[in-house]
Amino acid sequence: MAEITLVEAITQALAHEMQKDTDVIVLGEDVAKDGGVFRATVGLLDKFGPERVLDTPLAESMIGGLAVGMAVQGLKPVAEFQFMGFIYPAIDQIINHAARIRNRTRGRLSCPVVFRTPYGAGIHAPEHHSESTEALFAHVPGLRVVIPSSPARAYGLLLAAIRDPDPVIFLEPSRLYRFAKQEVKDNGQALPLDTCFTLRTGDDVTLVTWGAMVKETLSACDRLIEAGIQAEVIDVATIKPLDMETILLSVEKTGRCVIIHEAPLTGGVGAEIAAQIAEKALFLLKAPPVRVTGFDTIVPYSRLEKYYIPSEKRIIDAVHRTMEFT
Amino acid sequence: MKIIERFEIPYYQFLNENSQIADEFPLIAENKQVLPVLYQLMVLVRMLDAKAIALQRTGKLGTYPSTRGQEAVFVGIGHALAKKDVYIPYYRDVGSLLQRGVTFSQILQYWGGDERGNFFNPESEDFPHSVPVGSQPLHAVGVGYAIKYRHQQRAVMVTCGDGATSQGDFYEALNVAGAWQLPVVFVVCNNQWAISVSRQVQTAAHTLAQKAIAAGIVGEQIDGNDIIAVQHRTAEALKVARENYQPRLLEMVCYRQHDHTTADDASRYEPKDLREVEWKKEPIARLRVYLEKLGIWNEAKEAALLADCAKKVDQEVKDYFDLKAQSLVSMFDYLYATLPSAYAEQRDILKQMEMVDHG
Amino acid sequence: MKIFHLPDLGEGLAEAEIRDWYVKEGDRVAVDQPLASMETAKAVVDVPSPYTGKIIKLYGKVNDVIQTGSPFISFELDEGTIEQSKGSVVGSLEESSKKWDEGDVIIGAVKTKSPAIKAMPAARVLAQQMKIDLSIVNPTGPQGLITPDDVKRYIDQSTRIPVVDQGESLHGVRRVMANIMMQSHQEIVPVTIIDDADTTTLSKQVNITIHLLKAIVAAVKIAPSLNAWFDGKTLKRQLFDHVDIGLAVDTAEGLFVPVIKQVEKYSVEELRKKVDVYKRSVQDRTITASDMQGATFTLSNFGMIAGRYATPIIVPPMVAILGCGRSRDAVVAMDGKMIIRHIVPLSLTFDHRAVTGGEAARFLGAIIAYLQGTTY
Repeated sequence: MAEITLVEAITQALAHEMQKDTDVIVLGEDVAKDGGVFRATVGLLDKFGPERVLDTPLAESMIGGLAVGMAVQGLKPVAEFQFMGFIYPAIDQIINHAARIRNRTRGRLSCPVVFRTPYGAGIHAPEHHSESTEALFAHVPGLRVVIPSSPARAYGLLLAAIRDPDPVIFLEPSRLYRFAKQEVKDNGQALPLDTCFTLRTGDDVTLVTWGAMVKETLSACDRLIEAGIQAEVIDVATIKPLDMETILLSVEKTGRCVIIHEAPLTGGVGAEIAAQIAEKALFLLKAPPVRVTGFDTIVPYSRLEKYYIPSEKRIIDAVHRTMEFT
Repeated sequence: MKIIERFEIPYYQFLNENSQIADEFPLIAENKQVLPVLYQLMVLVRMLDAKAIALQRTGKLGTYPSTRGQEAVFVGIGHALAKKDVYIPYYRDVGSLLQRGVTFSQILQYWGGDERGNFFNPESEDFPHSVPVGSQPLHAVGVGYAIKYRHQQRAVMVTCGDGATSQGDFYEALNVAGAWQLPVVFVVCNNQWAISVSRQVQTAAHTLAQKAIAAGIVGEQIDGNDIIAVQHRTAEALKVARENYQPRLLEMVCYRQHDHTTADDASRYEPKDLREVEWKKEPIARLRVYLEKLGIWNEAKEAALLADCAKKVDQEVKDYFDLKAQSLVSMFDYLYATLPSAYAEQRDILKQMEMVDHG
Repeated sequence: MKIFHLPDLGEGLAEAEIRDWYVKEGDRVAVDQPLASMETAKAVVDVPSPYTGKIIKLYGKVNDVIQTGSPFISFELDEGTIEQSKGSVVGSLEESSKKWDEGDVIIGAVKTKSPAIKAMPAARVLAQQMKIDLSIVNPTGPQGLITPDDVKRYIDQSTRIPVVDQGESLHGVRRVMANIMMQSHQEIVPVTIIDDADTTTLSKQVNITIHLLKAIVAAVKIAPSLNAWFDGKTLKRQLFDHVDIGLAVDTAEGLFVPVIKQVEKYSVEELRKKVDVYKRSVQDRTITASDMQGATFTLSNFGMIAGRYATPIIVPPMVAILGCGRSRDAVVAMDGKMIIRHIVPLSLTFDHRAVTGGEAARFLGAIIAYLQGTTY
């Protein structure tokens, strides 16, 4: 069976679920005929027809509201925003409506929508195309925010997101889209939401990360082994709601934590994780929890982009610093 | 140079300000069963509305937006809706919601600060009150798409005010409804004011109905104080939507006979006497005179109606007062289908608070 | 297979005529390589290749007119060419034929093996500084939490004096002694001068204690400052013209110090009687508290038991104490010869706050002179 990239895994998941459930509708700009600007929806129009794969007019707020209306009626819309930088016109529909219609009708109406979008920097794109503002959505009650980091997790988590009865913001790290291939069986098996995934085990330090930074974190982990440091790597995957249990169990064991995310430092989801570690595991810590993140700046244009994204070296340095507290 | 397109916006009125019916009129104008029903409903709505204002002024209700003067619009469109249609209100829709199985006590609950006011009834597919102005027309196109996708013979109606027509979302909704030919009837209740901004200041367009032209759909203007025109044109629009999946924009022209909400003071911006001048066109008196002309209404009936309405109003208010507050944990219980374990701790805090408070 | 449609070669041109082909079917071309010369209404232009690959089909001959947008040339693209169909409308995606290498992925958490040690950060820092292994510190915080105090307690315990937890509280004279000694230690600045007295010529009929009492009286005349009381707080010194000597008497119960008042008044015989009376009253426990108060000087004759020299402790508010150790016959040098004499060891402790070294030395010299039968 073929090995596929992350973006191909997205397509595979969409195709699988659309085959299985006629309520699943894909919509967005350029998703039908063009198959999506990253080809995430390629082939779906041919397979499922123009009633289920919709090229919308160029209006993000409309995409948001349209998807809300469809979802409330019991369809399962998977709406694409072409880049996270363009999701903002739909914030009203996402926060004021999708996130709260179940709550405000006391469960009478609900909104099983998936809003998916390429996100993050590292593809040398023009400005506005490199956003990582997952913290905005992680802050909103009633939403889920899910971020895959591998083809297998993209497949399994997207299936889970589509099947979930509540709104999910599904953020796809664009610089991982075609980065590597992995064997992903098209068996329709979803991965669980609301849980972390432990990718490497180790006793010395816990590395907590998600999205494209999983790549740098795993290679940092390999380098650290050469230095005699065994790091445990946790892919948070669902950043809202957070599975703190997994993270705390790991920190309990290692006593050290480095949190890595591409998004800017202040108010990033790393801050929430660090706060919860301080509240619940202070007495097991051997060193302060440390965050390695993007700077509190606008993502620079492509020439300086690579200095913005936390590098393997920054991660390794942070780990060495926490190991100094013995 | 050649003109490559021209547009027309029709205006509909059958019962004029002097209660005279036009030469050509729709069937409903002769319907002696339905007309009194519409009248009674409008009278009830006005009374309930006045009561809500009084409740707010006596500290028993939060901010409330009056529907005074706009009774014909909402009673008329509510009557035209079929049970199977979907309704998406904004926040002045008392006259229509009452015909959709919502009680006034539920409406009071909503403005009184209790989410259960949006519950309506378990089978209802209608959307709850919408506060972010102009965001709900987009929901209507989503619903419209679902209807079309499932090949159902239903329509969805969405209401909004004149102010909402300036929102980008409003236009985006009209546009996609036209582009995709969706069974959506957009009703704009043009009561001439968006808080303190008059209709003239809101847009340079001569009518709001013509905004439909830009989206390539049909738009018409209707005298919102003439319930016969309102009901008839709405019923037509819904029929066309249901049967042909054709969207339409209906602009109901009426007047806001109260402040924007009980938290507003229109005397700060509304020209003196304008309300009084507009009151001459108000819909309830207009219809009453007509009914009397038809011989189907009189003083005795009026007295009986008022007494009956007063009873209904009292009952609704009693039901509202009798309602006990929700449990504190209800804050968490409708966030997700199943509350994620990440929030169990916080929910417990509320539970503890409740045990302390409520004993 | 990719079909290249004729692009608009000059802003709104509907067609162009093939002037010349630069390639033929089957040729391999590189991107940007000129493929054909086209004549339009505006100009003659070269059309560059949009791809790297092999020419499959040319859709026209020289002099044919091709409409803008119509098929022009078809290509077979090279493997590894970034195909149009892979798209990304902006930017470029890193492509890699790498495998995504993860190994086993665990959903959720890995269970910890051993219970972790919970300690407050301050406790950890302290333990680290003192090089203490936290696993042996006894925690007293909630749920087995080690606090900084726990670490401190561990440090104290390992350097601590054993607690006297068995045993009964002192009472009576022992208690008094303990308190007085502590007070003395806190207040007094003691210096002890040590010397020997040759008592060979001293009468053996009289107990050495009596001689010592007399000697003290004699020495007080020479150095009266040792017969005084001193208050360290007010820095007041009271000299006395009478010598009241406390006589340390050892019993099974402890130390008693009856005071013989105005020793200067009594003869040797009277002193002996007095001493006997006191000793008996101590043994009988008939001695009263007032009998043991008011001493201006203390004599401790511990030599009956054992020990030569000592550093006897002054009882405040006195400023001196004479200790007398065990006498012996010793070989001494006298006039260049070795002879045997009877030697009594003496230790005089004085409070250097109130007594000078010179005064103390003169006092001791006077004691020795009396005992040796010489004049000072």
